Amino acid sequence: MNLEIVKNGSKVTIKVIGRLDTTNVQEFDKQANPTLDEKPMDLVIDCEALEYISSSGLRVFLTIQKKLTAYKGALLIINMRPEIKEVFDMTGFSKIFNIQ
Amino acid sequence: MEKTLIIINKVDEINKLAEFIEGIGEELGLDFKLIMNLNLVMEEAVSNIILYAYPKDVEGNIKIKVIYDNSKILFEIKDKGFAFDPTKDANDADIEASVEERRIGGLGIFLIKEMMDVVEYERVNDENIFRIEKKIYNN
Repeated sequence: MNLEIVKNGSKVTIKVIGRLDTTNVQEFDKQANPTLDEKPMDLVIDCEALEYISSSGLRVFLTIQKKLTAYKGALLIINMRPEIKEVFDMTGFSKIFNIQ
Repeated sequence: MEKTLIIINKVDEINKLAEFIEGIGEELGLDFKLIMNLNLVMEEAVSNIILYAYPKDVEGNIKIKVIYDNSKILFEIKDKGFAFDPTKDANDADIEASVEERRIGGLGIFLIKEMMDVVEYERVNDENIFRIEKKIYNN
């Protein structure tokens, strides 16, 4: 798992590459936290290269959404593969997130 | 067919589990989505044991037996940790909750129940035995 983080003014895009599971959620936090601590108002998570997500990964997404909701930032999730979208649908997460 | 994988209660061992399941999935010619779902439910079941079954700093084994043919795949997961019935003790996730109300826990067992056809637990001779089964519809 790796992240590619692109900043463009107040908009930040985090591209998640590989598998997001129990073994690497801490690595995700380590890579993403410095950016999230800057409280971006527009955050995009690009899931085009996200191959797999488990509930540990869903929790990471939920934590980010909670942080952004608290300071009125906007989170958009894009390019999700159908198999992964299904996990979001099944758990009701599709209703919590803005997914395009 | 029957295959067994024994891992210890370390988070990195999840990688071995993923390889193990992908191998069986490919052998059976399962589609990508089903392999991913099996991987997901097994990660949920096994990571729970890795994180909570044994006292901190105590090394423990987790034995994963897979019995499979063209019509079904059965996983039997055994550990000698604290007695824990994931089918009863876990709180189910409230999937209708809003972002503020949404709790972090309970998702794993929810996904297992949602994705698998049979979910059973028993405690025998100081062992937790968790069995989950998926029917396979291959054309």
